[in-house]
Amino acid sequence: MTGFHVDAGVLAAYAEGGLADVDAWSVEAHLDRCADCRTSIASDASTALVVEAVAVSLGSRLPTQGRVRQATGWRRIRVLVGAGPAARAAWLLSVAVTGVLTAGLAVSPTVVPPWLLLLIAPALPAVGTALSYGPRTDPLHELIAGTPQGGLRIVLWRTLAVLAVAGPVAVLAGAVTGIGTPGLWLSPCVALTVLTLALGSLVEPAYAALVVAGAWAVVVLAPPVGGVAVLVSSGSGWLGVTAVAAVVVYVRRERVGRQPA
Amino acid sequence: MTTVSVDDLRVSYGKRVVFDDLDLELGVGVHGLLGPNGAGKTTLMRVLATVLRPDRGDIRLLDHHIGDPAALRQARRQLGYLPQTFGFYPRFTIREFVEYFAWLKEMPPARIALAVDRAIERVGLLERADDRMKHLSGGMLRRAGIAQAIVNDPRLLLLDEPTAGLDPEQRVQFRALLRELGLDAVVLVSTHLVEDVVAACTRVNLVDGGRLVFTGLPDELIAAGGDGDSGDSPIERGYTAVLRGARTAPR
Repeated sequence: MTGFHVDAGVLAAYAEGGLADVDAWSVEAHLDRCADCRTSIASDASTALVVEAVAVSLGSRLPTQGRVRQATGWRRIRVLVGAGPAARAAWLLSVAVTGVLTAGLAVSPTVVPPWLLLLIAPALPAVGTALSYGPRTDPLHELIAGTPQGGLRIVLWRTLAVLAVAGPVAVLAGAVTGIGTPGLWLSPCVALTVLTLALGSLVEPAYAALVVAGAWAVVVLAPPVGGVAVLVSSGSGWLGVTAVAAVVVYVRRERVGRQPA
Repeated sequence: MTTVSVDDLRVSYGKRVVFDDLDLELGVGVHGLLGPNGAGKTTLMRVLATVLRPDRGDIRLLDHHIGDPAALRQARRQLGYLPQTFGFYPRFTIREFVEYFAWLKEMPPARIALAVDRAIERVGLLERADDRMKHLSGGMLRRAGIAQAIVNDPRLLLLDEPTAGLDPEQRVQFRALLRELGLDAVVLVSTHLVEDVVAACTRVNLVDGGRLVFTGLPDELIAAGGDGDSGDSPIERGYTAVLRGARTAPR
């Protein structure tokens, strides 16, 4: 320790190598004895230079640009919609079977009765949606539940993916069976799906789908009051069901898709 | 500086109470979470990962009260979580898997491409980045899991048994990565391997029977052990000594 300290400007010049040799030696000789000056040289040693050195070394350590796609809006939609197991093999298979049944009915109504298609087609999206999330059916559930897009958001993305496949099949089935207007077959599809989501905020999604599909089967198979055509044609009825279910989903949005295993 | 604070936490599964009145404070650095099987390590991890809802308790993560949905979403963006066991979609490649989580964590799109490769590189899987997940060994899967956890440069990183299934060489590399991550983030690592704690952690928390029975430096845990305590290393002796003390003390 000494009573004398090197001037801050001189220290900075020394740290940056800007002093003449003779001056640098005398500063060094002082630094050997003076802890205070050593400390201040450490903290002020031209931060800018350090930052630059770090930036250069970080830059050189970055991996080479790989084959991750450009992060565009389309890529986002493709990843979020397409990534999930929304298209589970078992479910896709049943969509395909429904397509085959539709074709069978188009050939001859005796091969495939129309009510069978009415039983299956609108229930498919509900089942597919429920299979695409939840702790029992989604292997990534635990990981996704802790992300900001987890919960209701990712569930809606997957519902969209499911409806995109099952919707057209239902419309096609509607056209072939001749029950009601084909386009209106979408309304029970959507209503049953949202109902499943609403119920899925209370119980395991797979059970929710089971309950909804079961209820649908009872409605279809029960002795029809005015023929099954009423089922498809009552658009306002389905709108009501959808609206009520949507309100439940909204109110319980923090619970949708976040059930712990 | 506290960036994770848990106050009066109560968690139960049905009638079984896992935690009652637990308090915990964590600052920047690597924190080890030790405890016997069934002590509640995984439960605590899941609560902090915002996956499991506690019955009661005030939890602040990175200055966000997670009771408020908007704040919770903010906190989740800065969170990384590796569960003890996790599944995967077999058809995903490692790169798609990590990219998926980059999107799920709402990262700025401009950063995603580079961040994905950087995360994969940090766990040493860049050579295998285009392999499908179903072709990976257990250790590689775990490293892919670590990559998705760190892809968003989380300020809070929760790793549940991250070294399980890693070979000794990978374990050493992983500890180096942990120390690096702990420089500017809160890292909580649950483990049953006490040597992980000595090698990589700046602080240790020990839970037993739903209580936090010890919190301090690894050296303090070592100092708690005496020659009479069972264990093959100083920290193991400290560990058993603290557990024994906690169990004999009146609750």
